[in-house]
Amino acid sequence: MNIIKLVMRDEWRYWRRTRVATTVILIGVVLSLASVVINSIEMRQAAVERAELQRTSEANFIEQPDKHPHRMVHYGHYVFRAPSPLSIIDPGVDAYTGTAIFLEGHQQNSAMFADQRQSSGMTRFSSLSPAFMLQVIVPLMLIMVGYSCMTREREAGTLHVLITQGVKVRDILIGKFLSVLGSGVLMLLPLILASLWASVSGESVTITASFVLGYVLYILIWSAIVLWVSSISARSNASFAILIGLWVVFCILVPRIGSSTAATLVTSAGKLETDFAVREELRTLGNGHDASDPAFVKLKQDLLDQYGVDDIADLPINFRGAVATHSEKVLTDVLNKYADARMEEELSQAEIARQFGWLSPMVSMRTLSMMISGTNLETHHRFLREAESLRYDFVQALNHVHEHDLDYDADVSRYKNEETAKAARVDASHWDVLSEFSFEPESSTFRLSHSMVYALQLLFWLGLMLLLIKQASRRIL
Amino acid sequence: MVLFSDLVREFRFLSKQRYIVLFLFAVFLLSAFAVWSGVTDSHQQQVAIERLLEKDAVDRESVLAKQVDYGDAAYYSFHFTYDEPSPLAFAAMGQRDVYPWKHRIRMLALEGQIHETDAENPELSLLGRFDFAFIISVLLPIFVILLLHDLRSAEREAGRYDLLVVTAKNPYKLWTARALVLSAFLAAAMLLPLIVGAVVMQAPLLKTGLMALLALGHLLFWVVLTMVVGRVMMARGQSSPRIASALLAGWLALTVILPVVGETVINQLIRSPNGGEIVLLQREAVNDAWDKPFAATWDEFLKTHPEWAEHTEMESSFHWKWYYAFQQAGDQQAAELSQAYRDAIVKKDHAAGLLSLFSPPMLVQRLMLSLAETDVAASLAYEQSVRDHHRALRLYFYPLLFEKGEFDSQELADIPVYGSHTVRY
Repeated sequence: MNIIKLVMRDEWRYWRRTRVATTVILIGVVLSLASVVINSIEMRQAAVERAELQRTSEANFIEQPDKHPHRMVHYGHYVFRAPSPLSIIDPGVDAYTGTAIFLEGHQQNSAMFADQRQSSGMTRFSSLSPAFMLQVIVPLMLIMVGYSCMTREREAGTLHVLITQGVKVRDILIGKFLSVLGSGVLMLLPLILASLWASVSGESVTITASFVLGYVLYILIWSAIVLWVSSISARSNASFAILIGLWVVFCILVPRIGSSTAATLVTSAGKLETDFAVREELRTLGNGHDASDPAFVKLKQDLLDQYGVDDIADLPINFRGAVATHSEKVLTDVLNKYADARMEEELSQAEIARQFGWLSPMVSMRTLSMMISGTNLETHHRFLREAESLRYDFVQALNHVHEHDLDYDADVSRYKNEETAKAARVDASHWDVLSEFSFEPESSTFRLSHSMVYALQLLFWLGLMLLLIKQASRRIL
Repeated sequence: MVLFSDLVREFRFLSKQRYIVLFLFAVFLLSAFAVWSGVTDSHQQQVAIERLLEKDAVDRESVLAKQVDYGDAAYYSFHFTYDEPSPLAFAAMGQRDVYPWKHRIRMLALEGQIHETDAENPELSLLGRFDFAFIISVLLPIFVILLLHDLRSAEREAGRYDLLVVTAKNPYKLWTARALVLSAFLAAAMLLPLIVGAVVMQAPLLKTGLMALLALGHLLFWVVLTMVVGRVMMARGQSSPRIASALLAGWLALTVILPVVGETVINQLIRSPNGGEIVLLQREAVNDAWDKPFAATWDEFLKTHPEWAEHTEMESSFHWKWYYAFQQAGDQQAAELSQAYRDAIVKKDHAAGLLSLFSPPMLVQRLMLSLAETDVAASLAYEQSVRDHHRALRLYFYPLLFEKGEFDSQELADIPVYGSHTVRY
């Protein structure tokens, strides 16, 4: 134990003396702290702004004056996706998805206003998020700090002296490992603080704990990679070149190759394309605005039979409202079929890209991090689904009002003059059919159970590295 | 002067260094992959556009055939607009996965439609694409640093340095020749796939040449920088890893830190209206019009279309001309905000352009995007072309709606069709 401490202390003393390592660590800590602060402020702002817009949008809807109910269907409603507490560390796909959706009758709109569209386009590398710092920059700093931890001793001949004097190879390796790890943990500190902050602002403790644990695992892996390369290389420059090469491969190449591969293997038809397919299918289903559309003949006959009358004007309900309800339902079934297929495609693309985690610990860390913080593709899809169910509910509720609270004759003659237009309105109290939208990330159990695979990927990397180090330790001299 | 025989000698020497040959081969494979995926992507986009054009025509035809008045015809006919990838887009896909390049619009208020983004998979966009521009702007410096940082110091550390310098007639020639051969092979490994890609995509010669020149210029910059830093630091007795760390720190600062921090600062300094406000404003304006007196709509509408002042009488409480007039009025009310939104994009792009003068990798990337017409300017030009088309639709339908003529389905044959917008530079 004492030996391990001595080795560690000696390594740290060397860093202090040469200054390079201390400067690197200092820059690392400052950058990661800055990223946590900037990102926290930005995400807080976004959260407040979106909550405010959500409230305004709901208030606007409820406060609409007396109207024809179908006009409210077209007036529509906006929903905004609230960021999850951990997005102060990992904003995930937030910047790329668009965070607001306009909900209206007869169609499913896509999310609007992705932040990336508004960015200066300076860098697609990433924004300065703490997640990016820790996943990409901190490993580079660990390399700069530790590439020579073993090769230096070897080049100076001190490694030989140490071992012949009876110091165990294992102790030297553990000492070096802990010293590199220590510098990584220093750079991890801002993230730990931010996670505590996320816990305070409502994230479950299991989630934040596993989040931090994931990053500790990641730092362990990179420290092990640095130690391994340094102990198998004969010279410092070889160790350095190999480590930088590995960093480029793991942090830059594999993720991008993964995403390009996924996009080429599974082609996803855009929303426009499915829109056309939807319209083709709908041409046979009828236009809900036009109650005389031949597609509604059957509906008409069914209703006439049900109420035992001969003319739609004699129905106790508003036939136009019945048509609107019916066609919205049929339409939504078709729309959902295509929307689900699209999400399936996107998910299978993401699945392919995520499998590249077996080729790069950075990819596994990134997936794990987004999964646990609830800022991944699945969360965005759930947002789309919840928005859609809200849309369907309020549109159908308005159609119900149209069907039962608005007289058919008044409805048909609504455009004749101002009098009839007034008669074809319903009371504004009906607008409270809109339910409140509050978007929450998935439950912690869901997020944890879905991140098992990626935790396994990280453990695989750690196991692999420890195994390699063990093997290298046998041929250390 | 470096003689040909020097180059041949260095070539023989380097070709025997297995790890350099392997390294260059790896670079070639990366570049080939980048070009291949770029070509596939471009091709898929072109095919998608053709397919959508066909479906669009069928859809509109079948919709128009059923219509009995002009208002319905305008309401139910959608128009597909698109931005075709330029022949060089395969080399620099830029922001095409984030910026919208296809829309379906109709004659309703445009502000409610134009901000829709038919975006690609966000998780893949987050990971970023691997295109040729990325290799040149981000990876090339690392290749150069790995290959050339220990040009001299490796010889010294191997104990051959003094011998080499003493025996060479002119020691400068030795290093220049070696650096020249190495960078020539590196350039060939990266550029060969580009040329093949350009031939496949039938890219214009001039622009392909400029793109290659950009790559060579960036290569030259990093070769010179690496050689100078290597020489100066070696003279001060620094080891190869030290030299490489210093160079990599420079790379990190120029390619990662400066752009990432710069982006954060630019976003803070240049405030842009929240996009949500544009659509909310437009929606309120359009929906309120139903409950306002007709005159309110006409006043706003006639500001831009005074020629219809004599045609605003309403014989019932609904008329399509009034409906489309308040759609236009809604756009007009949101116009200022929408313009501010676009101005902010331009300003941010401009600021980024200034900042990139301090970072050669970013400068190279921006120039490549502009050559490939995948930059912010190109995206805004496309957006403008969509606006122009929407305007053409309005100008086409207004006479039909305002002048009381009988419906004639023959008239609809001349409905404006979106043509790919012309080259923007």
